[in-house]
Amino acid sequence: MISRADADSANTETKDSSDKPFVDANDIPAFDPTTALGEPGSFPYTRGVHRTMYQQRLWTMRQFAGFGSATDTNKRFKYLLAQGTSGLSTAFDLPTLMGRDGDDPLSLGEVGRCGVAISSLADMRRLFDGIKLDQVSTSMTINAPAAILLAFYIAVAEEQGVSPDKLRGTLQNDILKEFHAQNEYVFPPQPSVDLVTDTIEYCTKHMPQWNTVSVSGYHIREAGASAAEELAFTLADGMAYVEESIKRGLDVDEFAPRLSFFFDCHNDFFEEIAKLRAARRIWAHVMRDRFGAKSERSWILRMHCQTAGVTLTEQQPMNNVVRVAFQALAGVLGGTNSLHTNSMDETFALPTQEAAKLALRTQQIIAHESNVTQTVDPLGGSYFIEKLTNEIEAKAQAIFDQIDAMGGVLSAIDRGYFRRAIAESAHKQQKQLDAGETKIVGVTDFKEDQASGIDILRITQESEDEQVARLKKLKKDRDAKRHTVALTKLKDDAKTGANVMPALIDASKADATVGEMMETMKSVFGAYSGGPEW
Amino acid sequence: MSNTQAGHATRVLLAKIGLDGHDRGVKVLARSFRDAGIEVIYTGLWQTCEATMLAALQEDVDIVGVSLLSAAHLTVMPEILRIRKQLGVEHIPIVLGGIVPDADQPKLKEMGVAAVFNPGSPLDLIIDALRELAASQQEVKLADVRAGYEKRDPRALAKLITKIQHDEDLADFKPPAGNAKIIGVTGAPGVGKSSFIAKLGRRLRDKGSKVAVVAIDPSSPITGGALLGDRLRMMAGTPDTDFFVRSLSSGGAQGALAPHCTDVIAALNGFGFDYIVVETVGAGQSDVAIRDLVDKTVLLLMPDSGDSVQFSKAGIMEIASCFVLNKCDLAGADATQAQLIGAVGDDRPVFRVSTIRDEGVDAVADWVATS
Repeated sequence: MISRADADSANTETKDSSDKPFVDANDIPAFDPTTALGEPGSFPYTRGVHRTMYQQRLWTMRQFAGFGSATDTNKRFKYLLAQGTSGLSTAFDLPTLMGRDGDDPLSLGEVGRCGVAISSLADMRRLFDGIKLDQVSTSMTINAPAAILLAFYIAVAEEQGVSPDKLRGTLQNDILKEFHAQNEYVFPPQPSVDLVTDTIEYCTKHMPQWNTVSVSGYHIREAGASAAEELAFTLADGMAYVEESIKRGLDVDEFAPRLSFFFDCHNDFFEEIAKLRAARRIWAHVMRDRFGAKSERSWILRMHCQTAGVTLTEQQPMNNVVRVAFQALAGVLGGTNSLHTNSMDETFALPTQEAAKLALRTQQIIAHESNVTQTVDPLGGSYFIEKLTNEIEAKAQAIFDQIDAMGGVLSAIDRGYFRRAIAESAHKQQKQLDAGETKIVGVTDFKEDQASGIDILRITQESEDEQVARLKKLKKDRDAKRHTVALTKLKDDAKTGANVMPALIDASKADATVGEMMETMKSVFGAYSGGPEW
Repeated sequence: MSNTQAGHATRVLLAKIGLDGHDRGVKVLARSFRDAGIEVIYTGLWQTCEATMLAALQEDVDIVGVSLLSAAHLTVMPEILRIRKQLGVEHIPIVLGGIVPDADQPKLKEMGVAAVFNPGSPLDLIIDALRELAASQQEVKLADVRAGYEKRDPRALAKLITKIQHDEDLADFKPPAGNAKIIGVTGAPGVGKSSFIAKLGRRLRDKGSKVAVVAIDPSSPITGGALLGDRLRMMAGTPDTDFFVRSLSSGGAQGALAPHCTDVIAALNGFGFDYIVVETVGAGQSDVAIRDLVDKTVLLLMPDSGDSVQFSKAGIMEIASCFVLNKCDLAGADATQAQLIGAVGDDRPVFRVSTIRDEGVDAVADWVATS
């Protein structure tokens, strides 16, 4: 489930401690708009990655969807396309996210529950039935088994007569934040990152329109990090992927343009706008100055944003519609390239069709009625916004220095740095809430007794039983010899350190399941049970 | 009020069951409970219902708290209640935290879930509810514990350990002498003691031996609360009643051993375990107290720790019966091994292990079994 309503509050880190009730030029003493901002579409891209931004092209309204069987989700995809959504975004169920098949004992009760269950190429085929893969852009939120799901997608496209270079979309494929926050890791950190690098290498050579990694701060923030931590940890992860890919022998300007980022849009309106602006500025400098990228396309940070699931409350759920609207507006004013708005019922379950539609309408109202799109970066030059942007950049820089001093991201993971920092921030926010220092409308204040009374989506247990039965049949009917040969090849490639993508594509075609391919790689890479926790 | 009626810290096992990785809530609660003087055993991610309830039995907790944010509550909770009955620990109340629609709450209560806490439940309300549940539990009589212990009932063993920890009067009850080989495992924080013990314990168990593990974690001298997290490394593998793990809080004791550690080991020994592995807090240089309690001491180190030479000055090197260089998948293993042999000589074995890759543990298990 993507959203959760742990009591949370806006981070108060950036509150001004001075008595002055306003911000003025004294708060940004060395501010030089030429170097700090540049024009929109030019270095350091603080104001946006395109010169015209939303005047010529609105952000992509990409609504995350997936539940039950592949057939159920296929119907939702077709509905969303008909409603004017401009890209598909796939939510997988927990077993798939963890690289396990639906019939694995740990999958009990979770098949198709929080996303769609995809265990084999046959499932993927049903998921995109009747959708031409050269006509849509598809985002897949998947990490540890990302390479396998990409292999399925490539294989389905091939069956449709679509070659890999025609495919457009995004693989989340960001394993580092799993170690920090979301916990959907399987292999130890180093081989996990090697696998990500395999996909970067493969896509750089064969899928030039594919976004290889969506480096994600969303989950880090939802797990409790402050805005500055979200920003810094995410960009540090991005730098780690760049370093690993350069080590692999790739030219930075060949792969860097296909990295994208994914941030949370939380409650603190101006802080969030500042965070997105700072992200672009930091990344442009890092890519040009630290990694020596020459292409402007490597310097620009393209981002997707999602409103903060953690801020939604089950009490008075209609209030969530309002929260989402403000958070979405922050994303737009921060210059996001793509946006997902949460549905008001997501504290309870996956969204109903009606709730998902209302969330999309919220974006459409911002885009077409509010007129905030009339000029690029309308808040640029505001004393307050520029001050916040500078501050969050400085905080991020201090965190980069700490991580560098620890020997980089992987070494910091080994020391438990990220998990400890995030858990401490989460604990601090809870204490502020308990002490009444922060408020949540309808929860800590302005409470009502009546029950929510909204309809929620129910996934039936039958959905799980059917998936398990399909999987049993697949395992029985497939060509056993071809299957064994393909998995043996996968194991050999994993052992020798070859890029595993071709072997994964072959294994997919041989009807190997997600769980089987993961187990095969686990036998070489090892399994990870987590780093230091406290 | 930090304690239950009897004046002892309430003991709560917090579990995440299934594949859901949303652990923000459970970790915030773990820290808050600790601050409120509760002893928390957190079993980590990806647990089965069976492993969770077996852990609850062995740890003799007052309450099990299950965290579920995957909407699987109507599938998972009946299963956990079924296993609770099967294991005969129906006295342990089970509470649920997570996203539970209002309509499901009566169903859960009816099937036997003691309480359901939704996101946004105030912390003090949760803590009060836990204390009340813990306080309402009936005291188990020493005679019953003794009878159960003599029949080799693991529930009685778990309860006996609790009584020992609580300084209860055990009258004339003394566990019989046993034949266990007692192994101490120590080393600096972060070298991977718990993960190593989990693997070592499994290897010994696979040879048919009965294995008990005592994991000692620090507790807060101020609130009496503790976060006992070692167990989460030991949850892998099939749940098994002859693999008994008990987490103890150090109670602020010096030398990194928990009070009553001697008596707890005696209780395990008399119960018939073949091996008792004692993991200490990892206080490193001052951690030599373990020597008096054990037959063998295993010192864990890791590559490039830079601490390895320092150890040689600290006395801990002298008491080690063998050295395990863990995390040998990391760079620098050769150099650290050479450094180690340079410091301590080569009359005691040095094992190279990678628990992540599951390499090298067999050799240690063989050494433990034969030396």
